[in-house]
Amino acid sequence: MKRRLIPLLLLLLLLILSSAGGVNAHRLHIHHQIGAIEIKAYYGGGTPCQDANVTIYGDQGNLYTEGLTDESGEFSFPPKIGMNEYTVVVESTHMVGHRGETTINMSSSGGASGSSGEEMPLYMRIVAGLGYLLALGGAAAAYSGWKMKKKYGGG
Amino acid sequence: MVHISDGILSTPILVSGWAISIVVMAVTIWWCERRRDVVEEIPKLSVMTAAFFIASLIHIPIGPTSVHFILNGLMGVVLGVLAYPAIFIGVVLQAFLFQHGGVTTIGVNTLIMGIPALIAGAIFRIIQIKDLEVFQNQSKRNSEALTGIVAALAGGVGVLFAVVFAAVTLIATGSQFFEIAGALIAAHIPIIIIEAVVTGSIITFLIKVKPELIRIKEEPR
Repeated sequence: MKRRLIPLLLLLLLLILSSAGGVNAHRLHIHHQIGAIEIKAYYGGGTPCQDANVTIYGDQGNLYTEGLTDESGEFSFPPKIGMNEYTVVVESTHMVGHRGETTINMSSSGGASGSSGEEMPLYMRIVAGLGYLLALGGAAAAYSGWKMKKKYGGG
Repeated sequence: MVHISDGILSTPILVSGWAISIVVMAVTIWWCERRRDVVEEIPKLSVMTAAFFIASLIHIPIGPTSVHFILNGLMGVVLGVLAYPAIFIGVVLQAFLFQHGGVTTIGVNTLIMGIPALIAGAIFRIIQIKDLEVFQNQSKRNSEALTGIVAALAGGVGVLFAVVFAAVTLIATGSQFFEIAGALIAAHIPIIIIEAVVTGSIITFLIKVKPELIRIKEEPR
């Protein structure tokens, strides 16, 4: 009984191995899908810009698509294959008079993500602004001092 | 809001904004020069402009949007007519450093915030001079409190008028005036109240410690 069972098991193993190898090799499948371009609009201070009108223009300046931002200020649109540049214009409806514009260029190196107007950190801009004003005040004070000195014959 | 961005207003409005702002600036500087030395006022002007420049960064979220401080009423009360050139400098710095408002709209934005500042300054000075005449026999404490209240009124009026002016300017976008004006004023009510309180307290404090900083009566030189 035992002697007959071993060849049978071997045959079975061979069958399994051959069928598995032939029909279902370790094939690697790639499915691809190009996602949407996502934008987020917010006011200075971080409050999301809700229900704002979004207009997207293509590389020829032609209207590509338009819509409204959601409650977190986000909006997404599918890019068109072959078109690399999009101009995004956001116009606030709750605060009429506020408008933002940015250009998304997918062929340049920094195209994956970016923001409009964030080249310099905020504290540096504050320092820069205060610096100009300090210089203005200082210059005026120096001039007044010089005039005073001249008026009173150099003290 | 009171800082209008690029690309919203039509060219004639932008051009007239610049033209009016330049004329008003020239007039205010000439007006001030007739009474006192403008150069001597510039250090004070710089300090106030710094406050104005930074104030726009303080945001208060209100409903679906956010509003920020303007401080144009305080500028008018402290600087008098020089508030206009000071606001111009502040708006220029905000446009270039914070991308707050636009570059083409600097003229219009200065007008929107500057004229209310002049109105606030005038309210403060006119009522104050009347008070001085009427309440000459009043105690010092009463007159200080009164000055604070008048300053608070001027501070609130400054913001209110700025919002109304912004709404008037925005009619040009073709939107409904009353809708815009209503929404803008409603959103700015907290700012109007807070700025009134801030202006009132700052002026009360200044009157106590350095009354010569706020010249009420401007005698010709």
